[in-house]
Amino acid sequence: MVTTTDQATTPVSFRPGEFEVDPDGSGRILGSRCRACGAHFFPVRKACAGCLGTDLERVRFSTSGTLYTFSVVRQSTPAFEVPYVLGYVDLSEGVRIMSQISQCDPEEVTIGMELELAVEPFGESEDGTPLVGYRFRPAGAESRR
Amino acid sequence: MTNVHVIGVGMTRFGKHPDRDAADLGAEALLEAISDAGIDPRMIEAAYCGHVFQGMVTGQRILAQVGMAGLPLSNVENACSSGATAIREASLAIRAGEHDVVAAIGTEHLTSRFSGALTPDPSDPEAAVGATMPAVYAMRARRYMSEFGMTREQLARVAVKNRKNAAANPLAHFRKEITVEEVLASRSIADPLNLLDCSPVTDGAAAAILVSDRLAKRLGKGRTVRLAASTLFTGSVDTEPTSMTFEPLTWRTAQAAYERAGVGPEEIGVAEVHDCFSIAEVLRVEGLGLFSQGEYPAAVERGEADIGGRLPINPSGGLLGKGHPLGGTGVAQVVELVRQLRGEAGDRQIAGARVGLAHCRGGKAVGIEGAACTVQILVR
Repeated sequence: MVTTTDQATTPVSFRPGEFEVDPDGSGRILGSRCRACGAHFFPVRKACAGCLGTDLERVRFSTSGTLYTFSVVRQSTPAFEVPYVLGYVDLSEGVRIMSQISQCDPEEVTIGMELELAVEPFGESEDGTPLVGYRFRPAGAESRR
Repeated sequence: MTNVHVIGVGMTRFGKHPDRDAADLGAEALLEAISDAGIDPRMIEAAYCGHVFQGMVTGQRILAQVGMAGLPLSNVENACSSGATAIREASLAIRAGEHDVVAAIGTEHLTSRFSGALTPDPSDPEAAVGATMPAVYAMRARRYMSEFGMTREQLARVAVKNRKNAAANPLAHFRKEITVEEVLASRSIADPLNLLDCSPVTDGAAAAILVSDRLAKRLGKGRTVRLAASTLFTGSVDTEPTSMTFEPLTWRTAQAAYERAGVGPEEIGVAEVHDCFSIAEVLRVEGLGLFSQGEYPAAVERGEADIGGRLPINPSGGLLGKGHPLGGTGVAQVVELVRQLRGEAGDRQIAGARVGLAHCRGGKAVGIEGAACTVQILVR
């Protein structure tokens, strides 16, 4: 049952089909796992590209990954304040997720660095509701602060 | 099954055309292609028009401008491969025996629709986290530099080469040569790519008239160029993370084209490849099997890809120098190759070129390597 309190406090995901936010404010990236061959996909798919089976389950991906490559973006659309670091993050499930890399100096970002999921403010809806989304930050960044 | 031949080509000057639109530009290119072919426009039986952001029935607006009504016409959208896809569709209609004379047009008035960095469709999950096309290629550039030791200066030389070629092309967007120092000093767009590593926002159109064997004999006047292959593929869905420094999609599309044309990469004498960014040319030519993986940056440094080099790449100036009006690009590549193979390329003529290859690759969708890739092989 959703109480009035929950509605008031659970942050709203910027993309509910791809990123699920829990009442405690934590969040997980969503995808699919093929029950037949075990392949994982982001985002949620209707059939498996490996075996073409349609018996897929929705999964919440792990929250740690490794940086495959990145760029410091200095020109973007009006929706994004520049500069920001954009990277491809490899998760242990065998999926590669594009994400911004936050909570670090862009000069310190390196290929191969270990990262963890961060739930952060991510713009607002058309009616002005603040939204949260996912970024990745250096592993352990939270404990170092 | 009949072969397909190009008997006429035309293109507008590429650049900024504030007082014109996509239909107007497309009509100019089509009229030139008809005139170049030397045919009565009433002989054209069907048309395909490639564009991305020009709205509904742009192809029909082109036909209306030149008084050609009543033809079957399809507008095709495949991102930056839209024009190349129009050529492929035209060639299929001829191969199928449905038509003998078909026009392929590509057009874009991009300056009125777009400025700055191109992005994937807003519905895409990667667009939602800040993906831009320059950023995607910048990430690939960084990975390539890390894996193969390419220097930033070597990457800049791709842009310098293409701008030099563009300076010899009267229809190019940019007519001024640039230096490595200027590339390195230009504004950062998405590190490590700077402004001069990126293709510009360009307006322009191109057109080609394609015919069957029967009509080529009758109308060709010795100026026909055979379209020996026109292949199109969509990228596979990754079931595990794969290398972003090689292009399996480009490789697969090229292998199918080499097999269809009966020529190998070693027989290609000139290539127009999709250099939307400097790093893109590196990835393309290696994916096409024209240069070994990891070796193109040094080959450019040695001048192997120059006009007059072992294998000239983008003699027109490419997307970096000639410009990149999305829908127009794939057709304009074929225009350049036809002119090169006919020996009509003026100051940028490649001596003795007989086999040319054009490559386009466009679009970004989450989870697939690339959206639409085309390879055309032209033989004189």
